[in-house]
Amino acid sequence: MRARRMMAAVGAAVALLGAACSSNTTAGTAAPTGSSGSTAAPGLGGTAVGFIFVGPKNDYGYNQAAYDGSQAVKAAFPNLKVLTAENVPEDDNATRVMNSMVSQGAKIIFATSYGHLNPAEQVAAAHPDVVVVQQGNIITGTVAPKNMGTYFGTVYEPVYLAGIAAGKATKTNKLGYVYAFPISQSIDNIDAFELGAQSVNPAAKTVVVNTSAWCDPGKQTLAANNLLSQGVDVITQHQDCTATIIKATEAAGKYSVGYHADASALAPKGWLTGSEWNWGPLYTDIVKTILAGNFTGSKYNANYRVGYKTGDNPFVQSKFGPSVTDETKTLMATAKANLAKADFSPFKGPVMDQSGSVIPGFEAGKVPDYATIENLTTFVQGIVGQIPKS
Amino acid sequence: MSLVLDVAAGAVGGGTSILYAALGETISERAGVINLGTEGCMLVGALTGYAVAAMTGNPWFGVVAGAGAGGALAALHAMLVIERKASQLASGLVMLFVGLGITSLFGGSFVSRTINAFTPIALPGLSKIPGLGKVLFDHDALTYLSFLMAPAIWWLLFRSRWGLLIRGAGERGEVLAAYGYSPKTIQYLAVVAGGALAGVGGAQLSTAYTNSWFEGMTAGRGFIAVALVIFAAWDPLKAIAGAYLFGAALALSPALQARGYALNQFALDALPYVITVLVLVVLSRKRLHAAPEGLIRTLANAPVR
Amino acid sequence: MGSIRVISSALRPPKLRSAGREAGRLALAFVGALTVFGAFVIAKGANPLTVYSDMVRSTFFNSNSVAGVLVKACPLILAALAVAVPARAGLVNVGGEGQIVIGAVAAGGVGLALDTHVSGGMVIILMLLAGAAAGAIWAGIAGVLRLTLRVNEAISTLLLNYVAIDILLYLIYQPWKDPHGSGQPVTRQLAVPARLPLVGGTQVHVGIFIAIIATLVIWFLMERTSWGFRLRVVGGNSEAARRAGLPVNKLLLSAMLVGGALAGLGGMVHFAGAELQLRAGMTANLGYIAFLASWLARHKPINVAIAALLLASIAVAGDSLQINSGLPAATVNVLMGLVLVAVMGGWELRRKAVAA
Repeated sequence: MRARRMMAAVGAAVALLGAACSSNTTAGTAAPTGSSGSTAAPGLGGTAVGFIFVGPKNDYGYNQAAYDGSQAVKAAFPNLKVLTAENVPEDDNATRVMNSMVSQGAKIIFATSYGHLNPAEQVAAAHPDVVVVQQGNIITGTVAPKNMGTYFGTVYEPVYLAGIAAGKATKTNKLGYVYAFPISQSIDNIDAFELGAQSVNPAAKTVVVNTSAWCDPGKQTLAANNLLSQGVDVITQHQDCTATIIKATEAAGKYSVGYHADASALAPKGWLTGSEWNWGPLYTDIVKTILAGNFTGSKYNANYRVGYKTGDNPFVQSKFGPSVTDETKTLMATAKANLAKADFSPFKGPVMDQSGSVIPGFEAGKVPDYATIENLTTFVQGIVGQIPKS
Repeated sequence: MSLVLDVAAGAVGGGTSILYAALGETISERAGVINLGTEGCMLVGALTGYAVAAMTGNPWFGVVAGAGAGGALAALHAMLVIERKASQLASGLVMLFVGLGITSLFGGSFVSRTINAFTPIALPGLSKIPGLGKVLFDHDALTYLSFLMAPAIWWLLFRSRWGLLIRGAGERGEVLAAYGYSPKTIQYLAVVAGGALAGVGGAQLSTAYTNSWFEGMTAGRGFIAVALVIFAAWDPLKAIAGAYLFGAALALSPALQARGYALNQFALDALPYVITVLVLVVLSRKRLHAAPEGLIRTLANAPVR
Repeated sequence: MGSIRVISSALRPPKLRSAGREAGRLALAFVGALTVFGAFVIAKGANPLTVYSDMVRSTFFNSNSVAGVLVKACPLILAALAVAVPARAGLVNVGGEGQIVIGAVAAGGVGLALDTHVSGGMVIILMLLAGAAAGAIWAGIAGVLRLTLRVNEAISTLLLNYVAIDILLYLIYQPWKDPHGSGQPVTRQLAVPARLPLVGGTQVHVGIFIAIIATLVIWFLMERTSWGFRLRVVGGNSEAARRAGLPVNKLLLSAMLVGGALAGLGGMVHFAGAELQLRAGMTANLGYIAFLASWLARHKPINVAIAALLLASIAVAGDSLQINSGLPAATVNVLMGLVLVAVMGGWELRRKAVAA
């Protein structure tokens, strides 16, 4: 009896399975259902702005910088609720959290981690009336969807300047770089750091170690210790949480170059300089553009990159440490002025790869554009270490 | 320094927190209670240790507090499995989630705090021994303490009256009871001591090794410790070798990278676990059942009521 | 004699009169956990009543969140059944995490190799088979070690979790990494035709039907077939079962294989329905949460599925904790832990009541 009833239930479930199924698609291919039509500009009429972060919002680094930016939006738009979610993994959890924010009235969403791009595209495709902007990644293809864009600062420019400070400070001519994964942002930063150091100290080499994690203090300690034992005397990093490495470097009496946040208090002696985010003005301007109904077709409706050349860049150079000489400061000021010019770039050709041959697109005299630099997948000459291949 | 010495020094430095947790878990398992929540105990130890060091300015207070926090979480585990007869594995996993959650809830404000951390002390004379000196005698005080702790716990377990009671509680509880001891009380003490040592391991990670607190910073070290106890066949002295072997697996990749070589370290990372399985196979072949009998009984009977 | 007693104890009908009382105690435990959690919430400066009402509203009265719960529940239900089946035979499978991973890896290997060559339906069927087979093999290793060398399966399944995770990491850091990707250690995404179809216009994929069917089938096998009956006999007293002439070793191994296949299937649906690519951390302790779900329901298939659904709901309710209340994301782990502690704390009471 019960067995038969159960078999019937299974049969019903199988029948259901066949009925009413749609394909499991990401952005671009899905036909939006129940859209509010294309009459209104996307992003209007919401009561909230949503922000998702991949790590804890108080990591003293990348995620905290993004969180601080969200609080600037809160201050600038008192009528909008700011919804935040931290530790959002870069998978379907991100999609779900962003959808939750949409159902709570958010028509503007900032997906602030590199790996949040795919979920962001899904949410944008499912909700044509919601603007989703993503921090740091690149929308491939010819045109961005009307309600989607990416933004980032060309942070390799201040990193290049920091490289100058490192190149002047090093006594062993060995600089160290701790990074997480060989993503384009990290490769750009590492290359620019080495190129900056080389520009003032041709003998400077940068030794790289990856931790395969955005924030794993145990691995960071190991990375720092190994760099130090190889004679590295300036250490910088591309990690989400930065305190561990800076403290280890300071304890060893070596120099630190910061990233994401001002950590000079952690290294009163060895702090040189660093690159920090100041997202508030950019986030605020993006929200303002959206609320004015002008998002579609604006500069933010694309892969928006901003740096010293446009002036409204979202980063600041950290304060100088006590050991930075006036000569170094002058060199950096000159380079900074050059970075604002159209005919200069840290990657102005010729740029050589590790084997000494010129990298295509970076030939002598060429000033590559932001997109070319972001597509760079090789370490430049002077870097010690290999990119894990796929 | 040569690659071997770098890896060895990294193995000792990175293995110490795992060693503490494994020593604690050895005591607990010898008394017949497995604690899969060792990771949770390490996490609460790491946060409490860091927080108390930040508030008092003295890392030793932090270590004591970290031990207390790890012990407290383990006490909850002990209560559930001893008093309430809950499944040890399930209860341990619950402690893991409680530890993850509580440290996230209360840890945020300590990320940006600084402490007077334990710093490496090069032992006079000993640290000058070529090779070995750098590997063994240029560490923080808690690492040196772990050198003493492992043999001390071995002595406690195998040479002292207390050890007899602990192992008795894990193997022949009814005999202990017949002699007028309470196996329950002994198990409680062993589990709490185990959690306290895991807490010290966590505090070593935050107040000595990394000098920082971040959410989830133990990154699986507590689970490694549980595997390590089995690897070491419930012997504190073998746990030293195991902790440094696991530590070396973690230390190899950065050491190679700093010399310009890339390495997909994950095939290597699996090795200690595979070796542990093989150790189990060898042990069973020899019919040398090193596992405490009570533990085997609990594991075999845990799920079915 | 002994075997008869064992068999009759396995046949004893469930005590219905204690069922209601037990439900009451579970409810009481739940309320207790919510009260303690409320104290934590107050400590963080939020109003627990608002927090709870927000949680309920945004988790259960929101189609997106309900879909999220169902998506999360798919691998959880399957992996929890993977604990329940061996448990009936007295075996402890702590290896759900590894079996999910290895199932996802096998499905990923098959799916990513074939999805652009073979029809989508075919790829899905092959991925289902590969996931289930890989999970079964992974659990089978522990089963064989137990039967031939008497290696405790709780320990070996736990250890094999790490091996499985390292295999996943090894593959995605190099051989299987998306060469056109962003540099993060992930594979490319599965092609659209090879993904599990979505149900209606929702985010829920058909994996939920696979989970439901698996629950019903396992219930049927456990409660209504001689295999299930024999497993329970072996679980009650394997020595007596052996003396009664049951093929104990075969039964134990079959329980591990079926369990592993279920968890492997869980890995497959998680990969082909939700994650769509292999990624570090894609299991996020699902296997361990599944262990707790099975334990919470004391390994009864239908209850196991319900418990998995409950834990999935708590996980999704964590979204509201931070979006609405601004609490840290992992706070939800405290809530889950407290609920489980409360249930466990109530255990002894129940047993005393039954004994009385």
